[in-house]
Amino acid sequence: MSQFRRVWAISLKDIESYYGKPPLITWGLLFPAVLLLSVYVKDPATYLAIAPGIIAMTLLFGNTSMAAIVVTFEKRAGTLQRLLLAPLSMRTIVLGKALSASAYGLVSALALTLVLMLVLAMPLANPPIFAAGLMLGAGCFSLLGLTASVMVREVFEAMTLLNFFRFPILFISGVFMPLSQLPYWLKPLALTSPLTYVVELLNFGVTGRSEFTTPLIPLLAGLLFLLASWLLTEATFRRRAYA
Amino acid sequence: MASTPAIVVSGLSKSFGSLQALSEVSFAVPRGEIFAYLGPNGAGKSTTIRILAGLLQRDAGEVNICGADVAQNPVFVKERIGVVPDESNLYPELTCRRNLEYLGELYGLRRGARTLKAGDLLSRFDLADREHTPFGALSRGLKRRLTIAAALVHDPAVIFLDEPTSGLDVASARALRELIRTINRQGATVFLTTHNLYEAEDLSHRVLILIKGRVAAQGTPREIRQRVQGLNLLAATFSQEIDPMHLLQACPAVLRVSPQNGSWRLEVAETHAALEQILAFAGKADLRLKEINTVVASLEDAFLSFLEGHPPESEARP
Repeated sequence: MSQFRRVWAISLKDIESYYGKPPLITWGLLFPAVLLLSVYVKDPATYLAIAPGIIAMTLLFGNTSMAAIVVTFEKRAGTLQRLLLAPLSMRTIVLGKALSASAYGLVSALALTLVLMLVLAMPLANPPIFAAGLMLGAGCFSLLGLTASVMVREVFEAMTLLNFFRFPILFISGVFMPLSQLPYWLKPLALTSPLTYVVELLNFGVTGRSEFTTPLIPLLAGLLFLLASWLLTEATFRRRAYA
Repeated sequence: MASTPAIVVSGLSKSFGSLQALSEVSFAVPRGEIFAYLGPNGAGKSTTIRILAGLLQRDAGEVNICGADVAQNPVFVKERIGVVPDESNLYPELTCRRNLEYLGELYGLRRGARTLKAGDLLSRFDLADREHTPFGALSRGLKRRLTIAAALVHDPAVIFLDEPTSGLDVASARALRELIRTINRQGATVFLTTHNLYEAEDLSHRVLILIKGRVAAQGTPREIRQRVQGLNLLAATFSQEIDPMHLLQACPAVLRVSPQNGSWRLEVAETHAALEQILAFAGKADLRLKEINTVVASLEDAFLSFLEGHPPESEARP
Protein backbone atom coordinates (compact mmCIF):
# COMPACT_ATOMS: atom_id res chain seq x y z
CA MET A 1 0.00 0.00 0.00
CA SER A 2 1.40 3.37 -0.96
CA GLN A 3 2.21 6.09 1.52
CA PHE A 4 -0.74 8.02 0.03
CA ARG A 5 -3.21 5.42 1.35
CA ARG A 6 -1.61 5.73 4.76
CA VAL A 7 -2.09 9.53 4.59
CA TRP A 8 -5.74 8.78 4.01
CA ALA A 9 -5.84 6.30 6.91
CA ILE A 10 -4.34 8.84 9.34
CA SER A 11 -6.81 11.50 8.21
CA LEU A 12 -9.86 9.27 8.47
CA LYS A 13 -8.83 8.13 11.95
CA ASP A 14 -8.39 11.75 13.11
CA ILE A 15 -11.74 12.77 11.65
CA GLU A 16 -13.36 9.80 13.41
CA SER A 17 -11.61 10.53 16.71
CA TYR A 18 -11.61 14.32 16.88
CA TYR A 19 -12.85 16.46 14.01
CA GLY A 20 -16.04 14.62 13.18
CA LYS A 21 -17.61 15.27 16.59
CA PRO A 22 -20.73 17.46 16.14
CA PRO A 23 -19.97 19.69 19.21
CA LEU A 24 -16.66 20.67 17.65
CA ILE A 25 -18.22 21.69 14.35
CA THR A 26 -20.96 23.61 16.18
CA TRP A 27 -18.33 25.42 18.25
CA GLY A 28 -16.39 26.32 15.11
CA LEU A 29 -19.55 27.86 13.66
CA LEU A 30 -21.03 29.60 16.67
CA PHE A 31 -18.55 32.42 17.26
CA PRO A 32 -18.24 33.68 13.66
CA ALA A 33 -21.98 33.33 13.04
CA VAL A 34 -22.85 35.39 16.12
CA LEU A 35 -20.21 38.00 15.21
CA LEU A 36 -21.62 38.38 11.70
CA LEU A 37 -25.22 38.47 12.86
CA SER A 38 -24.41 41.23 15.33
CA VAL A 39 -22.82 43.29 12.52
CA TYR A 40 -25.82 42.56 10.31
CA VAL A 41 -28.31 43.64 12.98
CA LYS A 42 -26.44 46.93 13.44
CA ASP A 43 -26.11 47.70 9.72
CA PRO A 44 -27.40 45.18 7.14
CA ALA A 45 -25.65 47.08 4.34
CA THR A 46 -22.10 46.61 5.64
CA TYR A 47 -22.03 42.97 6.74
CA LEU A 48 -20.93 41.88 3.27
CA ALA A 49 -17.74 43.90 3.59
CA ILE A 50 -16.54 41.81 6.51
CA ALA A 51 -18.20 38.43 5.77
CA PRO A 52 -15.23 37.08 3.71
CA GLY A 53 -12.85 38.25 6.42
CA ILE A 54 -14.88 36.51 9.13
CA ILE A 55 -14.92 33.28 7.10
CA ALA A 56 -11.14 33.56 6.72
CA MET A 57 -10.83 34.22 10.45
CA THR A 58 -12.88 31.07 11.13
CA LEU A 59 -10.37 29.13 9.06
CA LEU A 60 -7.41 30.77 10.78
CA PHE A 61 -8.53 30.15 14.35
CA GLY A 62 -10.30 26.83 13.76
CA ASN A 63 -7.53 25.18 11.79
CA THR A 64 -4.52 26.41 13.74
CA SER A 65 -6.19 25.60 17.08
CA MET A 66 -7.54 22.17 16.20
CA ALA A 67 -4.38 20.97 14.47
CA ALA A 68 -2.31 22.12 17.44
CA ILE A 69 -4.68 20.63 20.03
CA VAL A 70 -4.86 17.23 18.34
CA VAL A 71 -1.10 16.81 17.95
CA THR A 72 -0.28 18.15 21.44
CA PHE A 73 -2.92 15.82 22.90
CA GLU A 74 -1.47 12.86 20.99
CA LYS A 75 2.02 13.75 22.13
CA ARG A 76 0.89 13.74 25.76
CA ALA A 77 -1.09 10.52 25.39
CA GLY A 78 1.85 8.84 23.67
CA THR A 79 -0.24 8.01 20.61
CA LEU A 80 1.84 10.23 18.30
CA GLN A 81 4.64 7.76 19.05
CA ARG A 82 2.50 5.09 17.34
CA LEU A 83 2.85 7.01 14.07
CA LEU A 84 6.57 7.54 14.60
CA LEU A 85 7.06 3.81 15.21
CA ALA A 86 5.15 2.83 12.08
CA PRO A 87 6.88 2.56 8.68
CA LEU A 88 5.75 6.01 7.61
CA SER A 89 7.74 8.88 6.17
CA MET A 90 7.51 12.18 8.03
CA ARG A 91 5.80 13.60 4.94
CA THR A 92 3.05 10.98 5.27
CA ILE A 93 2.47 11.86 8.93
CA VAL A 94 2.40 15.62 8.27
CA LEU A 95 0.08 15.27 5.27
CA GLY A 96 -2.25 12.92 7.14
CA LYS A 97 -2.55 15.29 10.07
CA ALA A 98 -2.89 18.39 7.85
CA LEU A 99 -5.50 16.78 5.62
CA SER A 100 -7.87 15.99 8.51
CA ALA A 101 -7.43 19.43 10.10
CA SER A 102 -8.03 21.05 6.70
CA ALA A 103 -11.18 18.97 6.19
CA TYR A 104 -12.47 20.19 9.55
CA GLY A 105 -11.74 23.82 8.62
CA LEU A 106 -13.37 23.43 5.21
CA VAL A 107 -16.52 21.89 6.65
CA SER A 108 -16.81 24.64 9.29
CA ALA A 109 -16.22 27.41 6.74
CA LEU A 110 -18.62 25.86 4.21
CA ALA A 111 -21.29 25.47 6.88
CA LEU A 112 -20.86 29.13 7.85
CA THR A 113 -21.04 30.12 4.17
CA LEU A 114 -24.21 28.09 3.73
CA VAL A 115 -25.81 29.75 6.78
CA LEU A 116 -24.88 33.19 5.44
CA MET A 117 -26.26 32.36 1.99
CA LEU A 118 -29.50 30.97 3.37
CA VAL A 119 -30.14 33.43 6.20
CA LEU A 120 -28.60 36.69 4.90
CA ALA A 121 -28.74 35.93 1.16
CA MET A 122 -24.96 36.33 0.82
CA PRO A 123 -23.99 36.15 -2.87
CA LEU A 124 -21.28 33.94 -4.31
CA ALA A 125 -19.98 35.76 -7.39
CA ASN A 126 -17.12 33.39 -8.18
CA PRO A 127 -17.45 29.97 -6.51
CA PRO A 128 -14.15 28.48 -7.89
CA ILE A 129 -12.07 31.37 -6.51
CA PHE A 130 -14.01 31.18 -3.24
CA ALA A 131 -13.28 27.43 -3.03
CA ALA A 132 -9.59 28.04 -3.84
CA GLY A 133 -9.41 30.60 -1.03
CA LEU A 134 -10.97 28.18 1.43
CA MET A 135 -8.65 25.33 0.45
CA LEU A 136 -5.48 27.42 0.51
CA GLY A 137 -6.42 28.91 3.88
CA ALA A 138 -7.37 25.56 5.39
CA GLY A 139 -4.13 23.93 4.24
CA CYS A 140 -1.84 26.78 5.19
CA PHE A 141 -3.35 27.36 8.65
CA SER A 142 -3.51 23.64 9.48
CA LEU A 143 0.18 23.31 8.70
CA LEU A 144 1.03 26.33 10.85
CA GLY A 145 -0.99 24.82 13.73
CA LEU A 146 0.96 21.57 13.33
CA THR A 147 4.26 23.47 13.41
CA ALA A 148 3.31 25.15 16.69
CA SER A 149 2.17 21.84 18.19
CA VAL A 150 5.54 20.08 17.84
CA MET A 151 7.47 23.02 19.25
CA VAL A 152 5.77 22.83 22.67
CA ARG A 153 4.56 20.26 25.20
CA GLU A 154 1.24 21.71 26.44
CA VAL A 155 -1.89 22.88 24.62
CA PHE A 156 -1.81 26.27 26.36
CA GLU A 157 1.78 26.79 25.18
CA ALA A 158 0.71 26.03 21.61
CA MET A 159 -2.15 28.52 21.90
CA THR A 160 0.14 31.20 23.34
CA LEU A 161 2.64 30.65 20.55
CA LEU A 162 -0.09 30.79 17.91
CA ASN A 163 -1.64 33.92 19.40
CA PHE A 164 1.62 35.81 18.85
CA PHE A 165 1.04 35.16 15.19
CA ARG A 166 -2.75 35.11 14.87
CA PHE A 167 -3.80 38.34 16.56
CA PRO A 168 -1.31 40.67 14.86
CA ILE A 169 -2.13 39.33 11.38
CA LEU A 170 -5.85 39.60 12.11
CA PHE A 171 -5.50 43.39 12.17
CA ILE A 172 -3.28 43.81 9.12
CA SER A 173 -4.86 41.35 6.71
CA GLY A 174 -8.02 43.14 5.66
CA VAL A 175 -10.40 41.16 7.89
CA PHE A 176 -12.06 44.19 9.48
CA MET A 177 -10.65 46.95 7.29
CA PRO A 178 -9.89 46.86 3.53
CA LEU A 179 -6.20 46.88 2.63
CA SER A 180 -6.65 50.22 0.84
CA GLN A 181 -7.72 51.85 4.11
CA LEU A 182 -4.75 50.60 6.14
CA PRO A 183 -2.10 53.17 7.11
CA TYR A 184 0.59 53.28 4.41
CA TRP A 185 3.25 51.84 6.76
CA LEU A 186 1.12 48.76 7.49
CA LYS A 187 0.49 47.87 3.85
CA PRO A 188 3.89 46.19 3.20
CA LEU A 189 3.37 44.17 6.40
CA ALA A 190 -0.07 43.08 5.18
CA LEU A 191 1.56 41.55 2.12
CA THR A 192 3.66 39.26 4.34
CA SER A 193 0.53 37.73 5.90
CA PRO A 194 -1.02 34.59 4.36
CA LEU A 195 -4.38 35.68 5.78
CA THR A 196 -4.35 38.73 3.47
CA TYR A 197 -4.44 36.54 0.36
CA VAL A 198 -7.09 34.20 1.78
CA VAL A 199 -9.31 37.19 2.64
CA GLU A 200 -8.83 38.65 -0.82
CA LEU A 201 -9.64 35.37 -2.56
CA LEU A 202 -12.80 34.99 -0.48
CA ASN A 203 -13.65 38.64 -1.16
CA PHE A 204 -13.36 38.01 -4.87
CA GLY A 205 -15.38 34.83 -4.53
CA VAL A 206 -18.21 36.57 -2.67
CA THR A 207 -18.38 40.03 -4.23
CA GLY A 208 -16.40 39.63 -7.45
CA ARG A 209 -14.13 42.49 -6.27
CA SER A 210 -10.70 42.46 -4.65
CA GLU A 211 -7.98 44.84 -3.54
CA PHE A 212 -5.75 43.18 -6.11
CA THR A 213 -6.24 43.83 -9.81
CA THR A 214 -6.55 40.11 -10.56
CA PRO A 215 -7.32 37.10 -8.34
CA LEU A 216 -4.22 35.42 -9.80
CA ILE A 217 -1.99 37.46 -7.48
CA PRO A 218 -3.56 36.28 -4.19
CA LEU A 219 -3.91 32.79 -5.69
CA LEU A 220 -0.18 32.52 -6.46
CA ALA A 221 0.79 34.16 -3.19
CA GLY A 222 -1.50 31.74 -1.32
CA LEU A 223 0.11 28.78 -3.11
CA LEU A 224 3.57 30.06 -2.17
CA PHE A 225 2.53 30.41 1.47
CA LEU A 226 1.07 26.88 1.38
CA LEU A 227 4.33 25.49 0.02
CA ALA A 228 6.39 27.44 2.57
CA SER A 229 4.15 26.25 5.43
CA TRP A 230 4.48 22.66 4.26
CA LEU A 231 8.28 22.85 4.11
CA LEU A 232 8.41 24.57 7.50
CA THR A 233 6.10 21.99 9.11
CA GLU A 234 7.94 19.01 7.67
CA ALA A 235 11.31 20.41 8.77
CA THR A 236 9.98 21.16 12.27
CA PHE A 237 8.44 17.68 12.58
CA ARG A 238 11.74 16.06 11.54
CA ARG A 239 13.57 18.04 14.22
CA ARG A 240 11.03 18.04 17.03
CA ALA A 241 8.44 15.26 16.68
CA TYR A 242 10.70 12.71 18.40
CA ALA A 243 11.47 14.98 21.37
CA MET B 1 19.46 -13.05 5.61
CA ALA B 2 18.06 -15.64 8.00
CA SER B 3 21.53 -16.20 9.47
CA THR B 4 22.12 -12.51 10.28
CA PRO B 5 21.49 -11.72 13.96
CA ALA B 6 18.20 -10.00 14.70
CA ILE B 7 19.97 -7.13 16.45
CA VAL B 8 23.60 -6.05 16.32
CA VAL B 9 24.67 -3.05 18.41
CA SER B 10 28.28 -1.95 18.37
CA GLY B 11 29.90 0.94 20.27
CA LEU B 12 26.56 2.66 20.82
CA SER B 13 26.90 5.98 22.66
CA LYS B 14 24.39 8.68 23.45
CA SER B 15 24.52 11.70 25.70
CA PHE B 16 21.99 14.33 26.71
CA GLY B 17 23.98 17.49 27.38
CA SER B 18 26.57 16.56 29.98
CA LEU B 19 24.79 13.30 30.89
CA GLN B 20 26.32 10.27 29.23
CA ALA B 21 23.27 8.00 28.86
CA LEU B 22 24.99 5.21 26.90
CA SER B 23 28.69 4.60 26.52
CA GLU B 24 30.18 2.12 24.05
CA VAL B 25 27.35 -0.39 24.40
CA SER B 26 27.81 -3.50 22.26
CA PHE B 27 25.78 -6.69 22.02
CA ALA B 28 24.18 -9.00 19.48
CA VAL B 29 20.89 -10.86 19.67
CA PRO B 30 20.52 -13.97 17.47
CA ARG B 31 17.17 -14.59 15.82
CA GLY B 32 14.62 -16.45 17.90
CA GLU B 33 16.10 -15.47 21.25
CA ILE B 34 14.52 -13.80 24.28
CA PHE B 35 17.09 -11.24 25.36
CA ALA B 36 16.67 -9.47 28.70
CA TYR B 37 18.16 -6.00 28.95
CA LEU B 38 18.44 -5.20 32.63
CA GLY B 39 19.54 -2.24 34.66
CA PRO B 40 18.46 0.05 37.46
CA ASN B 41 16.38 3.17 36.76
CA GLY B 42 18.33 5.63 34.64
CA ALA B 43 20.76 2.97 33.37
CA GLY B 44 19.86 3.74 29.73
CA LYS B 45 17.48 0.88 28.91
CA SER B 46 14.68 3.00 27.46
CA THR B 47 17.21 5.19 25.64
CA THR B 48 18.55 2.04 23.96
CA ILE B 49 15.07 0.92 22.92
CA ARG B 50 14.28 4.40 21.57
CA ILE B 51 17.45 4.34 19.47
CA LEU B 52 16.82 0.77 18.26
CA ALA B 53 13.24 1.67 17.33
CA GLY B 54 14.34 4.73 15.36
CA LEU B 55 12.82 7.24 17.78
CA LEU B 56 16.12 8.76 18.89
CA GLN B 57 19.37 9.50 17.07
CA ARG B 58 22.58 8.05 18.42
CA ASP B 59 25.79 10.01 18.88
CA ALA B 60 28.08 7.15 17.84
CA GLY B 61 28.08 3.45 17.09
CA GLU B 62 26.31 1.01 14.81
CA VAL B 63 22.76 -0.29 15.15
CA ASN B 64 21.63 -3.01 12.77
CA ILE B 65 18.24 -4.67 12.94
CA CYS B 66 17.49 -7.55 10.59
CA GLY B 67 20.55 -6.53 8.59
CA ALA B 68 19.71 -2.84 8.13
CA ASP B 69 20.88 0.29 9.89
CA VAL B 70 17.94 1.92 11.63
CA ALA B 71 19.20 5.45 10.90
CA GLN B 72 19.90 4.73 7.21
CA ASN B 73 16.79 2.71 6.46
CA PRO B 74 14.16 3.49 9.10
CA VAL B 75 11.13 2.35 7.09
CA PHE B 76 12.70 -1.08 6.36
CA VAL B 77 13.51 -1.53 10.06
CA LYS B 78 10.13 -0.28 11.30
CA GLU B 79 8.36 -2.78 9.04
CA ARG B 80 10.23 -5.55 10.88
CA ILE B 81 9.92 -4.47 14.50
CA GLY B 82 7.08 -4.20 16.99
CA VAL B 83 7.45 -1.99 20.04
CA VAL B 84 5.55 -2.21 23.32
CA PRO B 85 6.45 0.93 25.27
CA ASP B 86 6.42 1.03 29.07
CA GLU B 87 3.09 2.90 28.97
CA SER B 88 0.18 1.36 27.05
CA ASN B 89 -0.37 3.98 24.37
CA LEU B 90 -3.12 2.97 21.99
CA TYR B 91 -5.93 5.31 20.98
CA PRO B 92 -8.27 5.56 23.99
CA GLU B 93 -11.35 6.55 21.99
CA LEU B 94 -11.05 3.72 19.46
CA THR B 95 -12.37 0.23 20.15
CA CYS B 96 -9.97 -2.68 20.54
CA ARG B 97 -10.74 -3.93 17.04
CA ARG B 98 -10.47 -0.48 15.43
CA ASN B 99 -7.10 0.11 17.14
CA LEU B 100 -5.72 -3.10 15.64
CA GLU B 101 -7.23 -2.45 12.22
CA TYR B 102 -5.93 1.13 12.15
CA LEU B 103 -2.42 0.01 13.04
CA GLY B 104 -2.73 -2.69 10.38
CA GLU B 105 -3.48 0.08 7.87
CA LEU B 106 -0.41 2.03 8.96
CA TYR B 107 1.70 -1.09 8.42
CA GLY B 108 0.29 -1.55 4.93
CA LEU B 109 -2.09 -4.48 5.48
CA ARG B 110 -4.96 -4.68 3.00
CA ARG B 111 -8.52 -4.49 4.30
CA GLY B 112 -9.22 -8.24 4.29
CA ALA B 113 -5.86 -9.08 5.82
CA ARG B 114 -6.17 -6.58 8.64
CA THR B 115 -9.72 -7.64 9.48
CA LEU B 116 -8.53 -11.25 9.74
CA LYS B 117 -5.42 -10.27 11.70
CA ALA B 118 -7.39 -8.16 14.17
CA GLY B 119 -9.83 -11.03 14.79
CA ASP B 120 -6.97 -13.50 15.20
CA LEU B 121 -5.10 -11.28 17.67
CA LEU B 122 -8.25 -10.54 19.68
CA SER B 123 -8.82 -14.29 20.01
CA ARG B 124 -5.19 -15.13 20.80
CA PHE B 125 -5.01 -12.47 23.48
CA ASP B 126 -8.39 -13.44 24.91
CA LEU B 127 -9.95 -10.09 24.05
CA ALA B 128 -12.60 -11.27 21.57
CA ASP B 129 -15.43 -10.32 23.93
CA ARG B 130 -13.97 -6.79 24.22
CA GLU B 131 -13.58 -6.07 20.53
CA HIS B 132 -16.11 -3.21 20.63
CA THR B 133 -14.87 -1.78 23.97
CA PRO B 134 -12.88 1.47 23.69
CA PHE B 135 -9.24 0.99 24.66
CA GLY B 136 -9.60 3.75 27.29
CA ALA B 137 -12.27 1.71 29.11
CA LEU B 138 -10.10 -1.40 29.58
CA SER B 139 -8.39 -2.40 32.82
CA ARG B 140 -4.63 -1.93 33.09
CA GLY B 141 -3.95 -5.61 32.43
CA LEU B 142 -6.20 -5.73 29.37
CA LYS B 143 -4.66 -2.51 28.04
CA ARG B 144 -1.24 -4.12 28.33
CA ARG B 145 -2.47 -7.20 26.50
CA LEU B 146 -3.95 -5.17 23.65
CA THR B 147 -0.77 -3.06 23.41
CA ILE B 148 1.26 -6.23 22.96
CA ALA B 149 -1.26 -7.53 20.43
CA ALA B 150 -0.97 -4.24 18.54
CA ALA B 151 2.79 -4.67 18.27
CA LEU B 152 2.20 -8.00 16.51
CA VAL B 153 -0.28 -6.77 13.93
CA HIS B 154 2.33 -6.89 11.14
CA ASP B 155 4.07 -10.11 12.32
CA PRO B 156 7.36 -8.41 13.26
CA ALA B 157 10.62 -10.34 13.32
CA VAL B 158 11.74 -8.51 16.45
CA ILE B 159 9.57 -7.30 19.30
CA PHE B 160 10.72 -4.82 21.94
CA LEU B 161 8.95 -5.12 25.27
CA ASP B 162 9.65 -2.30 27.72
CA GLU B 163 8.56 -3.36 31.24
CA PRO B 164 5.71 -5.53 29.90
CA THR B 165 4.39 -6.69 33.27
CA SER B 166 4.99 -3.60 35.39
CA GLY B 167 1.95 -2.67 37.47
CA LEU B 168 0.07 -5.89 36.69
CA ASP B 169 -1.42 -8.26 39.26
CA VAL B 170 0.21 -11.67 39.68
CA ALA B 171 -2.27 -13.56 37.50
CA SER B 172 -2.12 -11.03 34.65
CA ALA B 173 1.69 -10.92 34.81
CA ARG B 174 1.89 -14.71 34.68
CA ALA B 175 -0.51 -14.84 31.72
CA LEU B 176 1.54 -12.20 29.92
CA ARG B 177 4.77 -14.12 30.49
CA GLU B 178 3.15 -17.14 28.89
CA LEU B 179 2.11 -14.97 25.95
CA ILE B 180 5.69 -13.73 25.56
CA ARG B 181 6.91 -17.33 25.46
CA THR B 182 4.29 -18.15 22.83
CA ILE B 183 5.27 -15.15 20.70
CA ASN B 184 8.89 -16.28 20.90
CA ARG B 185 8.03 -19.90 20.07
CA GLN B 186 6.27 -18.64 16.96
CA GLY B 187 9.58 -17.22 15.75
CA ALA B 188 9.85 -13.64 16.97
CA THR B 189 13.01 -12.39 18.64
CA VAL B 190 12.09 -10.73 21.93
CA PHE B 191 14.07 -7.84 23.41
CA LEU B 192 12.82 -7.42 26.95
CA THR B 193 13.50 -4.84 29.64
CA THR B 194 12.23 -5.50 33.12
CA HIS B 195 12.92 -4.68 36.75
CA ASN B 196 11.59 -8.10 37.69
CA LEU B 197 14.74 -10.23 37.72
CA TYR B 198 12.84 -13.44 38.41
CA GLU B 199 10.88 -12.73 35.25
CA ALA B 200 14.10 -12.11 33.31
CA GLU B 201 15.64 -15.32 34.64
CA ASP B 202 12.48 -17.28 33.92
CA LEU B 203 11.96 -16.00 30.37
CA SER B 204 15.24 -15.10 28.79
CA HIS B 205 17.88 -17.08 26.94
CA ARG B 206 20.47 -14.38 27.52
CA VAL B 207 20.80 -11.32 29.72
CA LEU B 208 22.66 -8.04 29.57
CA ILE B 209 23.16 -5.90 32.68
CA LEU B 210 23.54 -2.20 31.99
CA ILE B 211 24.74 0.11 34.73
CA LYS B 212 25.16 3.86 34.22
CA GLY B 213 25.04 3.43 30.45
CA ARG B 214 27.79 0.80 30.34
CA VAL B 215 27.57 -2.96 29.88
CA ALA B 216 28.38 -4.51 33.25
CA ALA B 217 27.81 -8.13 32.20
CA GLN B 218 26.19 -10.24 29.52
CA GLY B 219 25.62 -13.95 29.04
CA THR B 220 23.09 -16.62 29.88
CA PRO B 221 21.41 -16.25 33.31
CA ARG B 222 23.48 -19.28 34.43
CA GLU B 223 26.73 -17.66 33.27
CA ILE B 224 25.85 -14.44 35.07
CA ARG B 225 25.01 -16.32 38.28
CA GLN B 226 28.27 -18.27 38.08
CA ARG B 227 30.22 -15.02 38.20
CA VAL B 228 29.00 -14.42 41.73
CA GLN B 229 29.23 -17.96 43.08
CA GLY B 230 31.85 -16.68 45.55
CA LEU B 231 29.11 -14.77 47.37
CA ASN B 232 28.00 -16.17 50.75
CA LEU B 233 24.35 -15.37 51.11
CA LEU B 234 21.87 -15.93 53.91
CA ALA B 235 18.15 -15.23 54.10
CA ALA B 236 17.02 -14.45 57.67
CA THR B 237 13.60 -13.77 59.15
CA PHE B 238 13.26 -12.24 62.61
CA SER B 239 10.23 -12.19 64.89
CA GLN B 240 10.17 -8.38 64.81
CA GLU B 241 11.37 -5.53 62.62
CA ILE B 242 15.11 -4.89 62.93
CA ASP B 243 17.24 -1.89 62.17
CA PRO B 244 19.72 -3.08 59.51
CA MET B 245 22.33 -0.60 60.75
CA HIS B 246 22.18 -2.20 64.23
CA LEU B 247 22.62 -5.63 62.67
CA LEU B 248 25.64 -4.46 60.68
CA GLN B 249 27.19 -2.91 63.80
CA ALA B 250 26.61 -6.05 65.88
CA CYS B 251 27.77 -8.53 63.23
CA PRO B 252 31.15 -7.72 61.64
CA ALA B 253 30.90 -10.81 59.44
CA VAL B 254 27.81 -9.41 57.72
CA LEU B 255 28.85 -7.20 54.84
CA ARG B 256 25.53 -6.08 53.42
CA VAL B 257 21.84 -6.24 54.40
CA SER B 258 18.87 -5.71 52.16
CA PRO B 259 15.17 -6.55 52.45
CA GLN B 260 13.92 -9.32 50.19
CA ASN B 261 10.40 -10.77 50.10
CA GLY B 262 9.68 -10.25 53.82
CA SER B 263 13.05 -11.47 55.02
CA TRP B 264 16.56 -10.03 55.09
CA ARG B 265 19.15 -10.92 52.49
CA LEU B 266 22.55 -10.96 54.15
CA GLU B 267 25.80 -10.97 52.25
CA VAL B 268 28.37 -12.40 54.65
CA ALA B 269 32.16 -12.78 54.70
CA GLU B 270 32.11 -16.17 56.42
CA THR B 271 28.95 -18.15 57.10
CA HIS B 272 29.82 -19.79 60.46
CA ALA B 273 31.00 -16.56 62.10
CA ALA B 274 28.05 -14.67 60.70
CA LEU B 275 25.59 -17.23 62.11
CA GLU B 276 27.09 -16.94 65.59
CA GLN B 277 27.01 -13.15 65.46
CA ILE B 278 23.43 -13.04 64.16
CA LEU B 279 22.25 -15.37 66.95
CA ALA B 280 24.05 -13.21 69.51
CA PHE B 281 22.48 -10.08 68.01
CA ALA B 282 19.01 -11.65 68.21
CA GLY B 283 19.56 -12.72 71.81
CA LYS B 284 20.74 -9.27 72.87
CA ALA B 285 17.90 -7.48 71.10
CA ASP B 286 15.35 -9.90 72.55
CA LEU B 287 14.36 -11.11 69.08
CA ARG B 288 13.67 -14.59 67.83
CA LEU B 289 15.35 -15.78 64.68
CA LYS B 290 12.37 -17.40 62.97
CA GLU B 291 14.18 -18.75 59.96
CA ILE B 292 17.65 -18.62 58.41
CA ASN B 293 18.79 -20.29 55.20
CA THR B 294 21.81 -20.30 52.98
CA VAL B 295 20.91 -19.01 49.54
CA VAL B 296 22.22 -19.95 46.10
CA ALA B 297 23.04 -16.78 44.20
CA SER B 298 20.19 -15.84 41.87
CA LEU B 299 20.22 -13.48 38.93
CA GLU B 300 18.97 -10.84 41.36
CA ASP B 301 21.97 -11.46 43.63
CA ALA B 302 24.28 -11.21 40.66
CA PHE B 303 22.54 -8.01 39.58
CA LEU B 304 22.93 -6.53 43.07
CA SER B 305 26.58 -7.49 43.22
CA PHE B 306 27.17 -5.71 39.89
CA LEU B 307 25.49 -2.69 41.39
CA GLU B 308 27.91 -2.79 44.33
CA GLY B 309 29.12 0.62 45.17
CA HIS B 310 25.75 2.04 44.13
CA PRO B 311 23.27 -0.14 46.04
CA PRO B 312 19.79 1.28 45.51
CA GLU B 313 17.85 -0.13 48.45
CA SER B 314 20.33 -1.91 50.65
CA GLU B 315 22.36 -1.01 53.69
CA ALA B 316 26.06 -1.53 53.19
CA ARG B 317 28.83 -1.52 55.75
CA PRO B 318 30.36 1.99 55.65
